[in-house]
Amino acid sequence: MTTLTQRASVTRRPTSRSLRRRRILVGWSFILPNFLGFALFTLIPVIAAFVLAFMHWDAYNPPTWAGIDNFVRLVGDSNFHVAFTNTVLYALGHVPLTLALSLGLALLLNQKLKGIAFFRVAIFFPYITSLVAIAIVWNMLFDPINGPINQFLHMIGIANAPGWTASTGWALPAVIITSVWRDMGYYMVLFLAGLQAIPSEYYEAAEVDGAGRWQKFWNVTLPSLRPTTFLVLVLLSVSSFKVFDLIFVMTQGGPGRATLVLSQLIYQDGILNGQFGYSSAISLVLFLIVLVVTVFQFKIQQRRER
Amino acid sequence: MRMKRTLVAAAGMAATALVLAGCAGSPSDGGSASNGKTTLSISVWNYKQTPEFKALFDAFEKANPNITIQPVDILAANYEDKVTTMLAGGDTTDIITVKNLTDYAGYAQKKQFVNVEGLVKQLPADKIPALTSYAVDGAQYAVPYRQDFAMLFYNKTMFKNAGVAEPTNLTWDEFASDAQKLTSGSGSDKVYGAYIHTWNSLVQAYPAAQKSNAKWDTGDYGWMKDQYKLVLGMQKAGTIMDWGTASSQQTSYQTMFETGKAAMVPMGSWLIAPLLADKKAGTNDIDWGIAPVPQLKSGTKITSIGGPTGFGINKNSKHQDAAKKFLTFAAGEQGADAVASIGIVPAYHSDAITTKYFALDGMPQDDLSKKAFNPDVIKPDGPTGPNAAAIGNILNQEHQLIMTGSKSVDDGIAEMESRVKSEVLHQ
Repeated sequence: MTTLTQRASVTRRPTSRSLRRRRILVGWSFILPNFLGFALFTLIPVIAAFVLAFMHWDAYNPPTWAGIDNFVRLVGDSNFHVAFTNTVLYALGHVPLTLALSLGLALLLNQKLKGIAFFRVAIFFPYITSLVAIAIVWNMLFDPINGPINQFLHMIGIANAPGWTASTGWALPAVIITSVWRDMGYYMVLFLAGLQAIPSEYYEAAEVDGAGRWQKFWNVTLPSLRPTTFLVLVLLSVSSFKVFDLIFVMTQGGPGRATLVLSQLIYQDGILNGQFGYSSAISLVLFLIVLVVTVFQFKIQQRRER
Repeated sequence: MRMKRTLVAAAGMAATALVLAGCAGSPSDGGSASNGKTTLSISVWNYKQTPEFKALFDAFEKANPNITIQPVDILAANYEDKVTTMLAGGDTTDIITVKNLTDYAGYAQKKQFVNVEGLVKQLPADKIPALTSYAVDGAQYAVPYRQDFAMLFYNKTMFKNAGVAEPTNLTWDEFASDAQKLTSGSGSDKVYGAYIHTWNSLVQAYPAAQKSNAKWDTGDYGWMKDQYKLVLGMQKAGTIMDWGTASSQQTSYQTMFETGKAAMVPMGSWLIAPLLADKKAGTNDIDWGIAPVPQLKSGTKITSIGGPTGFGINKNSKHQDAAKKFLTFAAGEQGADAVASIGIVPAYHSDAITTKYFALDGMPQDDLSKKAFNPDVIKPDGPTGPNAAAIGNILNQEHQLIMTGSKSVDDGIAEMESRVKSEVLHQ
């Protein structure tokens, strides 16, 4: 593109202002189709949700002004408390576990071995598998009586194996295990890309200085991976707080409210109970939570880079 | 080079125009065509797998040659969500099929349908008992065409082999002790005396219907206690499948019954049609019958649970007169005749319809089955009214906790009461 415009400016010498305007127009024309889609299906609905959070609306009759009613109700709503706690617990389990496992797998598979591509694909595969299939298969594995997981636990002598998705205490861990298994392949690919971007001179220099495996990992690999780790951390946190699909298919938020998360509460109060104002208020709170977490992570990253 | 760039820009514009055109696309409202024919659009779910719609529409078109019906097919699992979105967006689909009373409460509360009270007054109310289910404060926004209710499906061979008498008029206690006698085997050969599916209605709605003082919407649920004790007792004794197993394996009640894994299955009359179809296809060869659902006390009237399925007219419909014609047809004898011919229990009751129903290929012919087909009273299988969805949700969540043993019966019921009172009734 630059060579083209340079040549054009040499041959036709238009005034620099008209050239700039044309460039801007061309730029806009490239971005316009995507922006229109974004505005229509994301930006406008998001703004509408912000406004709706302060209204009562049943999605059919005209909305009425509610002021902060929806937020007052939120503070006293036991469903919101449960969903908030569950979402935070899910994130606390899902983020570190996925981060650690995907990094570990990336390190393991970042070797020049025969057939390594096969293992990389195998680990990545869950990510591109239909979520419904994953949920059904894991539900069968987690079956408290006939499931292979508990039969294995019985075999190795654990008498009181967990009830997994059928018990309130173990349903959330079961969902976390499934989601970690599903997501780790994707983040492993990001880490692999990061690992392969580390110049081999660093390792050579470290070896010359007499560094061992651990020292190389701590002092070369981890610091060089920091941008990737940061990206993975942000993506993971955002996706953890927004989790909906896997839980909806696996447990529908049950048993009871043991796996009810904020996204599902939004769906339940909005689409099912027809209280779109209240569910918009919950969406707004979820948005603020994600925003705060992400800004916090950016701040820490900036401080480290200084 | 310049031309190429202009081309790209032009292509971009064209793409944008396409996107915009797609969004603003005029709805093909299929209105009155030039040949004097009217096209009625009706929202339905899983059109191919739900043959009642085609049977009903074909019969109507035959009786009204000037009206063509255009089904709007929606995935069953997303039906409620999709209809909510359609109506909110000002969709002009003429008739909306009302899947259950919970959904109906929502439509009625938002006044999204045309009040068809005038039409209802002309229908033979004494033959359509479900008609009153749709009455709300002097208005009526839908009419029923189908009335399902619970019955006890039982495997005749298994009863004979175990030497258990036919379940003519069981109480719930007798149901539990029969289940005990019919249970055998273990591991993968385990045969359960009964199968109670995971829905909360299958425990909660029976005492709600059969006890005189039970109410869904006052926030008092002590009346559920005995039924929970009975079902949990059966679960503990292993005469029904454990709730956790049934839930995590997403067990199919139809499969449990057809493969002879359970001798008794209390289930809605909608199970009859697939049983007949599978018998015809040769995939189900069990000898089955139907009996009245167990009662709390012996010698009382047969009280079953169930709910109507109906049609309402969208307020935005441009063909309300034709739509009213369809509603009258569907709720009346002609509509009943059409759906009964494919094994669906119509809302309209008459001896002729019952005879026609039992003439279906593969239908059990014994007197008990005929008796089961005509319960004395049918009560709702869940909460109704404006708070139906919210109350139903809480009752279902606490049901799961009780059935998985995460909460005792008393604690679960106490939690239902306090949550319904604070979250729904705002007391």
